[in-house]
Amino acid sequence: MLPPADCQRTAIGLARIQMTLSQDPFLGAPDDALLIAFANGDRQAARYLTARLLPRVLAQATRMMGNPSEAEDVAQDAMMRLWKIAPDWRQNEAQVSTWLYRVTSNLCTDRLRKRRGAVSLDQVAEPLDDAPSVPAQMQTRARMTALSDALAQLPDRQAQAVSLRHLEGLSNPEIAQIMDISVRSVESLTARGKRALADLMAGRKAELGYDDDQPE
Amino acid sequence: MTMTNPNEDMLDDLFAQARSIDAKPSHAFLARVLADADGVQAAMRPKQAAVPGGLWTRMLDALGGWPAVSGLAAATIAGVWIGVAPPSSMQDLTASLIGDEVSVDFFATDFAFDTGALADG
Repeated sequence: MLPPADCQRTAIGLARIQMTLSQDPFLGAPDDALLIAFANGDRQAARYLTARLLPRVLAQATRMMGNPSEAEDVAQDAMMRLWKIAPDWRQNEAQVSTWLYRVTSNLCTDRLRKRRGAVSLDQVAEPLDDAPSVPAQMQTRARMTALSDALAQLPDRQAQAVSLRHLEGLSNPEIAQIMDISVRSVESLTARGKRALADLMAGRKAELGYDDDQPE
Repeated sequence: MTMTNPNEDMLDDLFAQARSIDAKPSHAFLARVLADADGVQAAMRPKQAAVPGGLWTRMLDALGGWPAVSGLAAATIAGVWIGVAPPSSMQDLTASLIGDEVSVDFFATDFAFDTGALADG
């Protein structure tokens, strides 16, 4: 646990970074250049890399996990793996963003696998966003949790392909690169995964507010 | 006419809702991630500065530190001493191993005297 003084100091530093992003000393530099700067001891590089990458990693984890606290754990773990691999990173061999998609996706399916058959109450305990009204907020939360629980029932590779395609909106060639498989395999995994997901969700339509066949 | 699967319609709507989630990292969470980065970076620093000091320090390290250097110095002094003033036992030993000592002169030192070339008158 970080001492409050350190938290405050880091938060002030981040606020300063957010205000002066136009003066980004790494402006235009690719992510891997920042990662190498980080490995060489540049503290600023970690701050700018975090500002660039963490929102997307957290969003991916939140969509797959359907739960903010679990998503934070996954995102923190993914970033920790990035910091640790920095000294061994081979420039121009892989994109940092592709690598992070893969790591985050794997970490999520690891957790989803453990969740199978054991959905705990705390998974529906926290709101996902600042929705305008409490009922709408509760419904969104219930829907996202249901989606995540259904993803947990799929085989890992199907869950990864479906989430990268339909939750992240990536193209099939991008997913093929992330998962290190052919585009044809991606198509097959997403098609089978989506069908299985639709079957899993079919029994929960009324519960999730889709009883009149009219999605909101 | 295209038929749509109502279950897939629901799923597409759920996907769209999931994509619209704006998961902005809180300051506390950012602080935790940056603390991790600082911790990893601090652990990497000694590795990068593994060869401190100047040329002498690095040579000392390469030889194995002070104990190795003191042994080398003692061996050097002993070698010089044996070379300058070899003990008689050492001469006997070398004679028995490689034979008796032989002197070879390249110039006949008494040649000039024999011919009388340097004699006065």
